[in-house]
Amino acid sequence: MAEVSLAGKQPEFPEISRDELARRLGDPSLVIVDVLPRDSYEAAHIAGAINLPLAELRERAREALPNRHAEIIVYCAKFT
Amino acid sequence: MRLLHELGYTNVRHYRGGLADWKDSGGLIKSASPSGAQAPWGRELRARGGAYVAPEFRANRFENALLGLIERCSTSELSLVWLAIILLSGVAYWIAALVGRPALIEHGAAVAGRLDGLATAVYFSFVTATSIGYGDVLPVGMARVLAVVETVGSLMIFGAVIAKFVSRRQEQLVSEIHRVTFEERLDRVQTNLHLVLSELHAISAMCESRSVPHNRLASRLESALRVFAGELGTVHDLLYRPEREPDEPRLRAILAGLAAALEELKEMLSRLPAELGVSPILRAILARISSLAREICGECVPRSYAPALTVWMDRIQALARDLS
Repeated sequence: MAEVSLAGKQPEFPEISRDELARRLGDPSLVIVDVLPRDSYEAAHIAGAINLPLAELRERAREALPNRHAEIIVYCAKFT
Repeated sequence: MRLLHELGYTNVRHYRGGLADWKDSGGLIKSASPSGAQAPWGRELRARGGAYVAPEFRANRFENALLGLIERCSTSELSLVWLAIILLSGVAYWIAALVGRPALIEHGAAVAGRLDGLATAVYFSFVTATSIGYGDVLPVGMARVLAVVETVGSLMIFGAVIAKFVSRRQEQLVSEIHRVTFEERLDRVQTNLHLVLSELHAISAMCESRSVPHNRLASRLESALRVFAGELGTVHDLLYRPEREPDEPRLRAILAGLAAALEELKEMLSRLPAELGVSPILRAILARISSLAREICGECVPRSYAPALTVWMDRIQALARDLS
């Protein structure tokens, strides 16, 4: 796929605060994605999150997240 | 994060604290043990076969097993099973009479284990299985249990056969509706792209004349670009996730319209008066148009198209590069 970064500039990644996430937990318009490996997901994950391990992200993103304009929250272990 | 942006996801945010921070704050944690309520979107995700979903979302599996079996069998297979149940039950009633334990009574006398007895037994089986129950032949003893089981089983299968016939007709109708909607959508994309093109042309002319107030210019530009971004999104989806494939001449016309609109947009932007100042909203719409269009090229779309089409796709990508 061709490079798509905006105008050669490093895109900034917006963040979501813990409070906002806690408030909107269960909101069906919000898709929470756990990018940790499957066994970590099985052990514990944020309620309602789906698992899309980082290693499989490229192949399976389109299938698992068909709406490219949906509101998506990504998280992993900590501070990445 | 970056990967998702690169894949074209526009509304991604990062929860920086991650799982560790969430646990520390006492947030709601689920593990993959079979407990907890089913999230409303769990079933949808599973149906899409996308991401792995924890077993907490996997209820109703056994409920659906029987329905799945009926789903997989063809109408003729189900009809054969139905016939087999009736014939085998008839033979079973007859064998009971054959071994000296009469299972059926006709006009007060036991049905004999001879050939005419077999005909009566099969007749009784049909009358029972179709729930007609004339009552001229009656089961006795254990044959009653078999008659009940036969009735329930064969009625269920008969119902499934009827349901399959009905649903096949419905599926045909639904797919016809999908086809018509799809054609209409393609028409609309084509028309809207033409409208965007002429609107951009008009805005260009307004820029030249310099007689139109800037706020009016900006609002007209914004609405034109919104329509443009929407239709571009549709074309993008069409190429990346085609539920149906449009025929080549039509797709070529759409791509040509898109390229013309992009070209006009570039032209118009160069004529935009410097003092107008591009608002953040406008900038965001432009960025979206540019990022969507840059993903349209002969090599990046998942399906391979005829050279006549890929030429247009590559042109669209080149124009989008110029735009940013």
